[in-house]
Amino acid sequence: MKRRTPPAAATGRSPLWGPMFRRHRRPLALGYLLATTHQVCEALVPVAAGYVIGIAVATSSVPAILLGVGAILLLFAVLASAAAYGYYLIGKAAVTEAHLQRVAVVRRILGDPTVGRDRQAGELLSITSSDTQGATQLMETVGGLLASTVGLTVAAVVLLRIDLVLGLGVLVMLTVLVGGVRLLSPYLERRLSARQQAVGLSAAVASDLLTGLRSLRGFGGVAEAVRRYRTASRLSLDATVRATTSNAVVGTTSRLATGALVVLTAAVAAGYAVEGRISLAELVTVIGMATFLLDPIGHITRSVQELAVSWASGRRVAELLTLAPSETAAHDERPDGPLRLTAVVDDGLGPLSLTLAPGELLGVVTTDVATADTLSELLAGSRAPAAGTVRLGDAAVADLEPAAVRSRLLVEPHAVHLLGGSLAAALDTGDGADRQVELPAALDAAALRVEDLTGHADAAGPGPALGDIALLDHGANLSGGQRQRVALARALLADRDLLVLRDPTSAVDAVTEDAIAAGLRRVRAGRRSTAVLTTSPLLLSRCDRVLFIDADGASTTGSHADLLAVDAYRSVVLR
Amino acid sequence: MSAREQDVGTGSSRDHQLPVASGRDTAAAVGRAALALPRLVASSTVAAVVGSIATIATPVLLGRIVDVVLAAVDRRTDVWPALTPLLVAVAAAVVVGAVLTSLALREAERLGASIAADLRERVVDRSLRMAPQTLERAGVGDVSTRVTEDVEVFTRSVPTISAVINSLITVGVSVVAFAALDGRLALAFFTVVPVYVLSLRSYLPRAAVLYAEERSRASTRSRVLLESVHGSRTVHAYGMGELQTDRVREASEAGLAAALRARRAFAGFAWTMNAAEAVGLSALVVCGFLLVRADLVSVGDVTAAALLFHRLFGPLGLLLTSFDDVQRAAAALGRIVGVARMDPPTSRVRPPRLSTATVRLTGIRHAYDDGHEVLHGIDLVVPAGTSLAVVGESGAGKTTLAAIAAGVFPPSAGTVELVDGDDPGICVDLADLDQVDLRSLVGLVSQESHVFAGTLRADLQLAKPGATDEELQAALDSTGATWARALPDGLDTVVGAGGYPLTPAQEQHLALTRLYLRNPPVVVLDEATAEASSAGARDLERVAEELLAGRTAVVVAHRLTQARACDRILVMADGRPVELGHHDELVAAGGMYARLWRTWTASGRDATT
Repeated sequence: MKRRTPPAAATGRSPLWGPMFRRHRRPLALGYLLATTHQVCEALVPVAAGYVIGIAVATSSVPAILLGVGAILLLFAVLASAAAYGYYLIGKAAVTEAHLQRVAVVRRILGDPTVGRDRQAGELLSITSSDTQGATQLMETVGGLLASTVGLTVAAVVLLRIDLVLGLGVLVMLTVLVGGVRLLSPYLERRLSARQQAVGLSAAVASDLLTGLRSLRGFGGVAEAVRRYRTASRLSLDATVRATTSNAVVGTTSRLATGALVVLTAAVAAGYAVEGRISLAELVTVIGMATFLLDPIGHITRSVQELAVSWASGRRVAELLTLAPSETAAHDERPDGPLRLTAVVDDGLGPLSLTLAPGELLGVVTTDVATADTLSELLAGSRAPAAGTVRLGDAAVADLEPAAVRSRLLVEPHAVHLLGGSLAAALDTGDGADRQVELPAALDAAALRVEDLTGHADAAGPGPALGDIALLDHGANLSGGQRQRVALARALLADRDLLVLRDPTSAVDAVTEDAIAAGLRRVRAGRRSTAVLTTSPLLLSRCDRVLFIDADGASTTGSHADLLAVDAYRSVVLR
Repeated sequence: MSAREQDVGTGSSRDHQLPVASGRDTAAAVGRAALALPRLVASSTVAAVVGSIATIATPVLLGRIVDVVLAAVDRRTDVWPALTPLLVAVAAAVVVGAVLTSLALREAERLGASIAADLRERVVDRSLRMAPQTLERAGVGDVSTRVTEDVEVFTRSVPTISAVINSLITVGVSVVAFAALDGRLALAFFTVVPVYVLSLRSYLPRAAVLYAEERSRASTRSRVLLESVHGSRTVHAYGMGELQTDRVREASEAGLAAALRARRAFAGFAWTMNAAEAVGLSALVVCGFLLVRADLVSVGDVTAAALLFHRLFGPLGLLLTSFDDVQRAAAALGRIVGVARMDPPTSRVRPPRLSTATVRLTGIRHAYDDGHEVLHGIDLVVPAGTSLAVVGESGAGKTTLAAIAAGVFPPSAGTVELVDGDDPGICVDLADLDQVDLRSLVGLVSQESHVFAGTLRADLQLAKPGATDEELQAALDSTGATWARALPDGLDTVVGAGGYPLTPAQEQHLALTRLYLRNPPVVVLDEATAEASSAGARDLERVAEELLAGRTAVVVAHRLTQARACDRILVMADGRPVELGHHDELVAAGGMYARLWRTWTASGRDATT
């Protein structure tokens, strides 16, 4: 894991922007230059047209018209090429940077458990997808801002050179008009975001109903669901309709403003032209320019709003990237020795002392489900005991480098998450330090037959390769039992020294459960240490030892057969 | 193999996809929806035409101003008597153009939004009520895409489409204005057409492929991101952060490459659009030059034409660059209309009101679309008010049988009938009932349940609309859902996606409570207790017993204690019934069930109570 620069708070500036622009400085510099060239050329189009008409067309001079057309073609050649290549370069830098930030954020989330601990999954997803895009949008915004400003300046200079009073008048009016239109924009934005939300609402309702379609049809909620969707859809429609009115008001205002500017400019310029103060060519240019000027001004206004959005996104991305890394471990070496609990006391857990012997298969039964949760967190090192120690060899688990712990100890989460688009990918968790379990053995022990997953038990031939078995939407095409078994095979294949499993057979039938219990013994017993938190007698009967923690937190150890004499134990494992 | 595994695992073949409306049918459907709103159609069209005329009049009048100025300079006369009316006319054109163009956009957007709302409500209605066989063949995935993505693409494209239609009208009016100025100038304007046509013809087919590729890569990337973030605990447990980050990076790189290819193609296309403008403007001034020299048009006419043309850059650019959006929206619309046009299935018979019902399955065989037969002939009667457990190993066909008994889809052969418990003369075939009538008779809870986003109250009211808080609380109490009272805001607690997280056991508890509220005479439970841990499963079994009391029930169970609690047990193997009887009889018979039971109760587990 790459160590990051110090937190943002220390410097008071977002540490995101500097490196972001530096990384792409060459393409960005060229891109900005070209975009600026494009805007200047756009400003010159009405000038060129004005001069060609005012001089060549009005005087019927052949050399002048040839020169004029040549100039127009040249101008457009520069304009088109600068625009096409310039905006492509800037866009490329932005999407490339978004990709880099996305990967950096994901690396941070996946590399350090503390990052995601106080953030919802939805928030993390929005940072990885929309915020990285929003932040890198800044590169495009800055380019647009730069180009528009220069284009506007060129246009202003042209106007002022034609006539100082006319030029100043146009510029002052423009400023007033744009300022006036801007006053309306917060009102418009409120309406627009209300519409976005309302449209989002009906889309979210539809998506939720469709996700739960089988469930919904199963209990007969269809009629009510259709009614609910209609309500949401009408709410969306109302918000949309309201937003269109605000849009129309703002649109009318800005069109009137442009129009007023054009009419006034035309009146004054016409008067000047009659007086001979400006030429005919200049008259045509001024009228054309007055219409053109609103483009760069509008662009600048929008860019300023976009800056705010990028700013907020960038802050969220930077916050996550620059979080102080979790406390550095005191011990960096690979911990040896058994997992040992000494006088551990925690919620629902009396003083518990236990050593997971090498090669042992230990069953753990708790009366209370919450106690099992607590125990797995303690074993994983993600929770420090209220009293006592959880040690791996000589060091407390909480003090060890997490990576070092994980190379020896695997606590398989009970909620099954299969990662990757194929069965092969789902089973691949990287190379273990000293893996001795082969794929067929792991699949066999988890009672996972590939034919079952594809539904073609009777198909002839060697059957499909694991890489060809697609997992749709994290395994939604598998049954709960199948997913559970794939997760178990994955854990067995990872072949850590110490393995903690949590209710690994809750979704399979008894015959399969029995096969899994036998498989677990076959693959691990005598070689690796395994703790199984379960209430399944089929699993427990095959354990070397069973640890029972009753409702008071008191623990008893013995074989499954011995413990059956304990009433509290019997009532838990009894099905 | 369960129905849904089969359904997704083999992928639905193309012949079974939901219908897509042809261009003509789509247009007809939109036309019909539009005609239902005649006022909006009329107002948007009139406003667009008049607004465009006014907008186009502005440059034409400005051209006149140039002529008036020229004449005044030549003759040294006072310019104002001629100029003032022109300026007033320009001002009027500006006001009319501004107001009506905005109004046209507003009316068109309202029209589009209303049509979109209408269509999306129809498509949701048809999708939720869809005939079982259609749904099973098409797969939930296809239906879901229509209702979510396609509807969203179309709804979001409404403002673009309104703007495109307005631009089209503006361009049309401009062409007329050109012709009115001078037919020959209009010809000069038309030099842009071949350039646009050539450039669109080379760009559009490529763009369609590139954008489709970009979207598909982007959706893969989202999927990988989603699974990585949701599965981050698993990633941490295995210490496989680097491996999973690499997977994200690969997906993101592929998306990046596709996005850049699309951007390159667009840059080339934008270049040709500027080229078209250059060609048009040059042709216009050359033509104007020749015409002015021949004294056929005035300098003002040429100015007007140039200004007019410059003004068209915007609308023309919009038309061309939104071609892709419009194409995409049209494709989405075709898929939406395809479903919206389907007839909602209705019951072929009047559904009887049954307080108790016997379930009678006759000659049930079932094969999935790939010809793989999973049930090979089953005859079965579950008498009113009794329960039947279905047990057997994975792949025995239990889930398929349960789905058929619950009417989730019809069997390939055979019938499922409900017979009135009191009057054997009253009998109904499940295949004759629509979704609503079917579910007032048979309720189903399967292994995977869904908690609907919203308050707990809203979730439960899906099963019983209008139920009071007292009723809901009573149902929760009856099913022993004591945890519901402990929720932070009680019935107002927001659950489901983004809400208060429920455990898998609580989710199933909720699913069973919904069925309890719905109160059908027949219930089918398909491993409804599987997702919970063992202790949770025992609680759920007690809930299920409460639910089953007094009803006819089919229960697929892998927990044999649950099977034992049923009146009779059907043991299945390879799609055939192999044993049927009460727990004690089957254990005594020493067959397959006895073997299963021995395994289940192995190692000193209590088998006596």
